Amino acid sequence: MVNANADAMGIIFPNIYDKYVPELVSERLMASIPFASRYRLVDFLLSSMVNCGIDNIAILVRQNYFSLLDHLGSGREWDLARKKGGLNIFPPYAQKTIGMYGGRVEGLASILPFLKSQKEKYVVISDTNIAVNFDFNALIEAHIASGADVTMTYRKEVLPKSLVEVDDDTTRDLYYTLEVNGDRVEKININSQESGEQNFSMNIYVMEREWLIDKVHKAFVSGGVYFERDILIPQIDELDIRGFEFTGYAARITDMKSYFDENMKLLQDENLEALFAGHPIYTKIRDDNPTRYVGEANADNVMVADGCVIEGEIENSILFRGVKIGKGAKVKNCILMQDTVVEDGASLEYVITDKRVAVSEGKELKGTDTFPVYIAKHQAV
Amino acid sequence: MGKEMIAMLLAGGQGSRLYALTQKLAKPAVPFGGKYRIIDFPLSNCVNSGIDTVGILTQYQPLVLNEYIGNGQPWDLDRLYGGVHVLPPYQKASGSDWYKGTANAIYQNLSFIERYDPEYVIILSGDQICKQDYSDFLRFHKEKGAEFSVAVMEVPWEEASRFGLMVADGDDKITEFQEKPKNPKSNLASMGIYIFNWDILRKYLIEDEADPESENDFGNNIIPNLLRDGRRMYAYHFSGYWKDVGTISSLWEANMEVLDPEHSGINLFDDNWKIYSRNSGMTGHKISSGAKVENSMITDGCKVYGDVKHSILFAGVKVEPGAVVEDAVVMGGTIIKAGAKVSHCIVAENVVIGENAVVGAMPTEEESGVATIGAGIYVGDGAKIGPNAMINENVKDGEEKW
Repeated sequence: MVNANADAMGIIFPNIYDKYVPELVSERLMASIPFASRYRLVDFLLSSMVNCGIDNIAILVRQNYFSLLDHLGSGREWDLARKKGGLNIFPPYAQKTIGMYGGRVEGLASILPFLKSQKEKYVVISDTNIAVNFDFNALIEAHIASGADVTMTYRKEVLPKSLVEVDDDTTRDLYYTLEVNGDRVEKININSQESGEQNFSMNIYVMEREWLIDKVHKAFVSGGVYFERDILIPQIDELDIRGFEFTGYAARITDMKSYFDENMKLLQDENLEALFAGHPIYTKIRDDNPTRYVGEANADNVMVADGCVIEGEIENSILFRGVKIGKGAKVKNCILMQDTVVEDGASLEYVITDKRVAVSEGKELKGTDTFPVYIAKHQAV
Repeated sequence: MGKEMIAMLLAGGQGSRLYALTQKLAKPAVPFGGKYRIIDFPLSNCVNSGIDTVGILTQYQPLVLNEYIGNGQPWDLDRLYGGVHVLPPYQKASGSDWYKGTANAIYQNLSFIERYDPEYVIILSGDQICKQDYSDFLRFHKEKGAEFSVAVMEVPWEEASRFGLMVADGDDKITEFQEKPKNPKSNLASMGIYIFNWDILRKYLIEDEADPESENDFGNNIIPNLLRDGRRMYAYHFSGYWKDVGTISSLWEANMEVLDPEHSGINLFDDNWKIYSRNSGMTGHKISSGAKVENSMITDGCKVYGDVKHSILFAGVKVEPGAVVEDAVVMGGTIIKAGAKVSHCIVAENVVIGENAVVGAMPTEEESGVATIGAGIYVGDGAKIGPNAMINENVKDGEEKW
């Protein structure tokens, strides 16, 4: 085959589920949350699409997107700096009549003219709160084989406590579970409170572009906001909606605790290999030098990116690029994001530091397994 | 509009004294310092000094180098006007020639330089580890009103006779050039980095080419001719870190010096003078429970289960449990299997060191060789590689090589 490219374009919603991790998105959005020592969450979906030959990708940003623009640049690191297709980032207010979108329908309605002018037959849609090495070609093949109107991806997971616990904030993005019969989706539940393993939607969809344009247009003129609530659920009997079960490794971020746990899980070799097996995940290059272990440094079960200088002890921790650990400092069960500085003799346990946090000499900070301490971007302790 | 100064980088050298490391690649492409190749240094120096046009003259085994340079993007040298260009010898109407010498390599590419109509041309060497601000060198060249300047290092007098030496007066004006003299009159060694006024370079290259007796070499021909004609020639003193990594032991030593930037003066951790390279794109490295890492540099993608002491691991190196790596330079993708002992040596890319194999030895009073394993070699389980060995072919299980 001369051209292995999928006949599909991609649409990514980088802000969805922001409100589940308010601390981490105070100066960014879901897509640009650092993950796995040198990546941002968006890298996983974006690389997965590119690895499947999807090279026309639209990103519909809603708010707080400076960090994402900075991260993505022209898209070159994902091989998306293209004359045809490539990366298109749509800021809100790109259209005269439409403000900041709330749900997928509003977001898609704002780019209808763009969608109409594209050439690909299919569209794949995704959020960015899941780190996954996803095979879009398998999804698209299943979709074509079944002849469905829309195919949606799910994974068998127990709903995390933070979702199930009743929350008064009605502006939080909705989540969905599926009731399937064979591959047919018979019911889509919104914000289910069920215990036990559920068919938890990953919000990764495939459908024909023309079909999507038609549905979004109709839903939007009648006031629709959410793709699932206002298009799929009301027409569940008329539409052919199929479920595609994903059984591979996935790290879903639903709250601070899962952010901590999903990072830590990657310290187990089998998990790291499962997430990074097969296709490469691309990210922005920083040109850091290799990491240096100096003097009395000691490392035990850690994942460390380039550009760090370690002079103290680190254990069960994830260090992002450019972290400095001073002499006699002790870091245990921590996630230290880019350019965190832990000065001499400081001691951290169960702590998440955001970018460029500085912990001064001799300070002690301690969280717990269930409640890690979080220190916001640029803070000095 | 013409460029003020463009760079011509001599990268054709075979680096024959690096033997096993340069079987399939040119010396400037030899990996260095955990994630770099030697050529990253002059290229990064160029871009950090504000030079945006670089011609790279290649000849020997250029494939790896060509692919590595690509469009020059990692060094920010993908430019609309200028940028980096790889210049191999090519066929002309009058026939084709390999590059006969350093001067001839530039001569054959005079038309490349003409395209940019520069005022100055800096000639760089692709086989040195050095962080240098060429804009300061150019400032010196202009202040002196020079037609030719050469960067020089003060070397110890007792070693001076190993170098090409510049004899200069109190104003740094060069009065004499001595190539590896028995009785040195100066201790200013040429670093092989020159700035020429473009018209002078052009004139002397054309004249040199017309001389059938010439070796077409900058040191042996061009510089003596400039002296003969009394050109305004100056010596620019450079005092930073500089190392010609032309031999296995100097390459090993320079890598070890990277581990000790506080004393050696080669600091790769300088945000104001970054060295750029093409990145591996691997995940962060992993140090497992039970592993031990001491005074070492570890790059993305490494997995360490054994002991690593005073060593440099390039991207994607795996050190299995019970393996011991000491005073070693281990290049990308190499796997050191359980129980192997790898000491005081250079192991090239994508090598497999079998279980319980022994490679190299810590130096003793009689013996301080740096064992070298070429790229892609398989060293069998329980094999023994002596400290002076240079391995180019697979070594069977249990075999010994000295």
